[in-house]
This record gives sequence, structure tokens and C-alpha cells, in this order.
Amino acid sequence: MKRTRIVLVLVVVAFLAVFLFYPLYYSCREAFFVEGGFSLKFFKYLYVDTITRRSILNSLALASVVTVITAALAFPLSFVVVRYRFPAKSLLTGLLLVPMIMPPFVGAIGMRQVLARFGSLNLLLTQAGIIESPIDWLGGARFWGVVMMEVLHLYPIMYLNFTAALANVDPSLEEAGINLGSSGFRLFRRITLPLMMPGVFAGCVIVFIWAFTDLGTPLIFGYRRVVSVQIFNQVTDLANNPQGYALVVGVLALTVLIFVTSKRIFGRKAYQSLTRGAVAGSEKRPGILGSGLIVGFILLVISAACLPHAAVILTALKEEWFMTVLPSSYTLDHFGDALAHKLTLSSIRNSILYSGLSTVIDVLLGVMIAYVLVRQTFRGSNLLDAMVMLPLAVPGLVLAFGYVAAFSGTALDPRENPVPLLVIAYAIRRLPYMVRAAYAGFQQINVELEEAAVNLGSPPLRAMRRITVPLLSANLIAGGILVFCFAMLEVSDSLILAMKERFYPITKAIYELVQRIEDGPYIASALGVWAMAFLGLCLIVVGVLLGRRMGQLFRI
Amino acid sequence: MVGITLKSVVKRYGETVAVDNVSFEVEKGELFFLLGPSGCGKTTILRLIAGFLQPDEGAIFFDERPVDQVPPHRRNTGMVFQSYALWPHMSVAENVAYGLQERKVRRAERNDRVAAALETVRMSQYRDRMPNQLSGGQQQRVALARALVIEPDAVLLDEPLSNLDARLRLEMRREIRRIHAETGITMLYVTHDQKEALSMAEQLAVMSMARVEQVGTPRSLYRRPANCFVAEFIGEANLIEGTLVDSAGGLGTVSTRLGELRATIGSRGLDAGDRVVCMVRPECLKMGTGRRNVFEAEVKSTVYLGEIEQFVLSARGVELRAVESNPGESPPGGGQRVDVHFSPEDAVVLPRQS
Repeated sequence: MKRTRIVLVLVVVAFLAVFLFYPLYYSCREAFFVEGGFSLKFFKYLYVDTITRRSILNSLALASVVTVITAALAFPLSFVVVRYRFPAKSLLTGLLLVPMIMPPFVGAIGMRQVLARFGSLNLLLTQAGIIESPIDWLGGARFWGVVMMEVLHLYPIMYLNFTAALANVDPSLEEAGINLGSSGFRLFRRITLPLMMPGVFAGCVIVFIWAFTDLGTPLIFGYRRVVSVQIFNQVTDLANNPQGYALVVGVLALTVLIFVTSKRIFGRKAYQSLTRGAVAGSEKRPGILGSGLIVGFILLVISAACLPHAAVILTALKEEWFMTVLPSSYTLDHFGDALAHKLTLSSIRNSILYSGLSTVIDVLLGVMIAYVLVRQTFRGSNLLDAMVMLPLAVPGLVLAFGYVAAFSGTALDPRENPVPLLVIAYAIRRLPYMVRAAYAGFQQINVELEEAAVNLGSPPLRAMRRITVPLLSANLIAGGILVFCFAMLEVSDSLILAMKERFYPITKAIYELVQRIEDGPYIASALGVWAMAFLGLCLIVVGVLLGRRMGQLFRI
Repeated sequence: MVGITLKSVVKRYGETVAVDNVSFEVEKGELFFLLGPSGCGKTTILRLIAGFLQPDEGAIFFDERPVDQVPPHRRNTGMVFQSYALWPHMSVAENVAYGLQERKVRRAERNDRVAAALETVRMSQYRDRMPNQLSGGQQQRVALARALVIEPDAVLLDEPLSNLDARLRLEMRREIRRIHAETGITMLYVTHDQKEALSMAEQLAVMSMARVEQVGTPRSLYRRPANCFVAEFIGEANLIEGTLVDSAGGLGTVSTRLGELRATIGSRGLDAGDRVVCMVRPECLKMGTGRRNVFEAEVKSTVYLGEIEQFVLSARGVELRAVESNPGESPPGGGQRVDVHFSPEDAVVLPRQS
């Protein structure tokens, strides 16, 4: 068993070394060593160059604002969901997660129609007499357009983190506070909030980094002065304009810094509940008015969150939509076109192939890594754990940039054939989720179940195949589906790595279609709707398989 | 079937020693108990025998064969886990059949043997149930059948009854004894419950802090414990401190605060002048005067339990517990002074614990 473990760990380390650390190292080297010597020349450029400086400030502002707003939204949501029982609760809490089934940039395509100068929103506001002249959401105010799209896409992640954190707060700890005379907001501030702080912080970190590095939404909204778009632009001429490296290294440093800080602060004192309080049954039943307020609030959030989806669906359905709030006539043609178009057809095939392959890699690696981490104690297991979780801190943008830089001119050159690197990029980015899903599964399986099989004559590997894997299957299927969905949704690495049309995955195809003037956006929207339906279905299956444990997968 | 021998087995986890130089022998076909408080290393010994752990020093033998190089899946032991470890994705019959499949037993024979094993544990009618549809006692029986069906060289039971309620535990004690009598298989049984061990064991090893304190039959351990730990861990004991005055013919005289007491010499190597204790069980302290070991005591308190009555006595500052069976109408009450005596046969001289 020991030899198997060593081989396994070596395989994982080698894989990560070549496809995670080497590209990052390459980017760093290019950024620091100019013309043979160590130099900070490029970093100087980060603040000397006005466009770059502006972009960095914009991205920071964008990420901060998105984080604050999502947190402000997630707090009351998680609070009422954890503490109160209200009508249609499971349906409503399920619907709260709907935004996750679509990358925000697809929603952005639909929202362009809604937010246009004479689009639905401005028409509504003008008709209602709130504004006199239309606001240019996609022009001067497009910062807020991007913020809105990202808030609506990212709040579920924040909400899942907060809910889990709050549900973990043992009610008896609050009761002890009440017993000693605390109540209301003071109780929340002194007891509840400090206890849920690790979860709050984790949610904020994920959302901040996601918003900071999101590429799709700013691209669609034409908000080009952000870091992600700047990096995207510079991938095309790396040789002539090496400043991109400095930008990438800057982003990487920022994200790693944030992750390490959060681990430092909260990793060690993750508040384990000392008592085994009965959390079940602690849900309060509000009166009719309270229930109404809660349900109304949640419905409001859900409908706002579904706005981009609705807009995409309407865009896909529209035949005429000009100067009216809703389209004036509808057609189903775009859905057919979306499946018949040369570009979309090959992109669907590509996406399924790439995502499928990366899922296979992740399931295999994830099970083995989780097994080693849960079932064996050895020196360096913490290090392995940290290495496997590191991709959470590496934005797809940075990874893809590193791939283009490091593997250009090699057999893996994405300009020639991006398939291996796309598959690997997807796999590396989602490996932490799979490891976590399998890890949770192994933890639930009493090790005595495996030992019983060995005791009755099974060699260890057969015991694993006959006992452990069948018992893990729910977690593995759920983790696999999640990996597959996320791979399908992957935007930044797809946009950067897939350079030739015949290798485009769905996300890149959608992006390309939007650029085409005529019916591009409609076909893109229709394709988006298809993808949405597919991913929605997948997530429902995952939810059924994992139940309440689903939230665990989205935490740091 | 095999006998199991441990020779000077040591197992360490980092700094802590989990099993410290343990040696004992389990005879072929014996129902052997390992008894000790939690954390004393008894489960570690069981896992060493099953092969899930390797000893750091010493060796384990099945009959004369050393098994250190034999991996756990080739040791042919049948283990009954504390958690039962029934596989939730297999039915009762599939759970029981598993070990036979691993041994490539043909289907027809396999079915017969599964049926017979389920018959032995009286679970035949549940063969198609899933484990989560069974009660704790039923799961216990299935786990036992699964271990027995492979006709193992030895059955290893790891606190098998600790998750059952009191009544079920009594019933399963009888069941396991019956099954042992029927199959005659070597069984090694780990428990922290001294009643369980006394009532079931043929041979018994008492453990404390990674060491074996004493091996013997339940009767010999209860009547002639080798030291104060064994005396107090099995049953209740009054320990009267004193100094050994002389010893001859298996009897010794101990000078105590209660005067000179005569008792059986319990362990070797005690010399006149040694600091010792005189151990006497509460039920051996008799009220009233007698020929030997008579002293006066004051009744501090009593507890009436129906078939017995418990007394707390104080004699010259030494607190003693006594038990009278079949208590009468008007036993001595609190504050009353009584004469107490015990027979030298029923008392043991033990070395004082340092």
C-alpha cells in the first residue's frame, strides 16, 4: 500500500508541476527577467502606463463593489433561510441557485438588449416617469452594468457559504448568550457573527477573485479597461508586448495573497462546534405577515437573478424587438438555427468532448487523492492537500495565459491544437471540487467497512472496488457532474486557448457569434438557452444526489 | 482452527506505547477474553492479530506459524467489528456470502453455507433485508454470521455488544456462548465490560495501560487477583493497607490498623516487612463475631437493594464496604457498632501499588 501511495503522490505532483506550477513559473520568470537580467521594469509599467493603471483600479473597484453588494444580499437571505420555516421553502431555496447555471457573459448578451439606450429598462423607467432621459448603461454607466451582472451571478456562492456558516453555529451558543442577557442585534454582533466569520470571509474571497478575474462580462459589455480584458488582449502578441506577464503575475500575487491571508486568519481557528446541538427543529415559524415578507423578499431576489436568463430567452425568441419593453413578435427559428449552424454544431461536440475528458481525469485523480488524504497519514499530506487546493486561487485567465506563454512552440502549442491544454486546464481548475466531493464521501464511509472486506479475504484494491467505490458513487457522480458543468461553463481559458474555429468550445462560439452583426446575438442566445437547460438538468441531478451537502463543495 | 500466541509484542504510535511487551496464549477452540478499560490497547492487539497493524517488536503465531509476513486478507480470521461494518449496499445474504466469494466457493455450496450460517445466528428469515432495515441486535447477528461462515481459523470480536441495550446484551451473551459451544471455534473477544467477561470467558486476560496484568480463568482472577488493579477492576475490593509480618504455608499475617489479619498469599516474591494490602471482597466481610480476623466497626450508611444490602463501615479510620445477602427485617443501622470478620481463605495479600 505504501508503494502505491508513493507512486500516486508522485503522479499527482508531476501533473501539477508540469501543468500548474511550470506555466506560472514561466510567467513569473518572463515578468522578472528582462534581457537576461532581473528587472522590475514591467512592474513599473503597471502604474506608469495610464491605461494599465486605470484598468487595475477599475478591476479592484469592480471586485470590491461586487463583493460588498453580494454580501449585503446574502446576509438576509441566509439568515431567513436558516432560521425560519416558510411556505415552499425547498422550492424557493432551490430557485435561489438558478443563476449558477449560466456564465454571466451569456446573460450579458441578453442584458445588452434590456440595458440598451432604448432597451427595456430605460423604456420602463421613462414610462414610469422615474427618469427623464435614458441612462447609458452600456456606455458611461457600464461599470454598474458589469457589477449588476456579476452580483446576480455570484450571490448564490456567497449565499451558500453564509448559509453553511450560519447553520454551523450551534443554537445553544446563542441560547447561552440570551441566557446571560444578550439579545437582538447585540447577540448577533457579539456571538453569531464572530462564529460565522470564517464562512463569511470564505464567500467574500471567492466572490472577490471571481469578479476580479471575470473576462466574459466586461468583454460583452465593452468595458475594456479592466485587468482581465487587458490580459486577454495581450495574449495575441506576447512576443512583441511582454508587459502582459507583469499584469498576470500581479493578478496571481493578489489572489494568492488573499487566499493565504484567509487561510492564515481562519484556517487555524475554524470554530469547531464543541457541543452536539440539535440544529434540526430550531427553525422558527413566523406569522403570516412575516412569512409574506420573507417569501416576497426571496421572490424579489429570484426574479432579479432570473432577469438575465429571461433576457437571453427573450433575445433567443424575438423576431422584432425595438423600442418596446418586450419583443413585439416571437419566433422559434433561432433555436433551430443554433443547432444547425456550422460553428455551434462543432462547438457543442467539442465542449462535450473536452469536458468529458477533463471529468474523467478529475474523477480518477480526485478519488485517488482523496483516498490518500483521508485514509492514510503520512508526512507531507498537508502539503499535498494545499497543492491540490491551489487551483482555487489561480484564475483561469492566469492559467491560460501561462499555457500560451509556456507551451508555445512545443508539441502542446495551443495555436496548433489546443485540445490537450484545454482539457488539462479544465481538469486542473476543477480538481479541487472533485477532491472535495470524494473526500466528503470517504469521510462518511467507516474505515471498518473496508477492513471487514480485507478481513474476509479481499486484497486492498478489490476491497476498494467492491465496497468503497459503490458506497462513494453518489458523491462521485455528483462531483463528476459538477466538474463537467463547470468545464462547459469555463470562459476565460476557453476564450484564450481555443484559437482556431474548429476547436471552439461552446463559450467561445457564443462569444464569436455575438461579434457577428446580423443574427449572431440571437443564435448565441439560443445556444445559451440550450446550454442553460442542459446545465440546469445536471445541477438538479447533483442536488438530488447530494441533498444538503451540496453547499460543502463551494467553500474554500 | 488455530491457537494464537503472542510473544513480547510491542506496538508504538510515535511516542506512545499502545501495546507494551504483551505475551499470552489462546488455546485452540478457546473462548478467550481481553478485558481492560478503554485505551488500554486491547483493540490494538486484536488489530495486530487480524493483520491491520504490524507489531514493532515481538511476533504473533497461529499455532507454530509466525504470521507477520501474512497480509490481513490471507490470515483467515473472521472479525466482528464494533460498528458491525455491514456493507449498506449489500443484502444480509450478500454480506454473509462475501467471504465465500473471495474464497471461490461454488454457488451451490455457497448458498448452503450462507443459509446454515444464518440459521446458526437465527436470522434465516431476514436474508434478503438490507442492513439498514435491521435492528442493532439483528445487525450483530449478521456480522457474526459473516465472520463464521468462512470457517475462520479464529473469530475476533471487538466489543461486539457495546452498541446494544442492556437486555439485548444479555441475550447476545448467551447466543455467542451457544455458538461457541456449537462450533467449537477459537474466539478472541475484546471488551471493557467485566460482567460480560466474567460470565462468558474460559480464559481471561486483564489489561491496563498497554500491559497484560494477569491471565487466568474468571474464577481465579476474581478470587486470587495478582495485584490491586485486577482486584479493583474485576468486582469490588476492600484494600486494607499494612505490613507483612510473616508468611508460611500459603498464608500470611499482615499488621494493619485493624490489628493482625490472616490472609492467603496472592503473589510471589513477598517478604516479611514488605508494605502490602490485604484485599477482601465486600461479600466476604461477615457481620458478627468469628474465629479469625475479627474487628469492630461502625455502620456509616446502608443501601437496601432487595436481594442484598450494602453497608459502608468505618473501622479505626479505615472505610470498608460490606454486602449481606438475604437481608433481614432489622439490620444494623447508621451509627451502630458491629463486629465484623472474614475468613483467611477469602482474603488475599497483594503488593501495595507504588
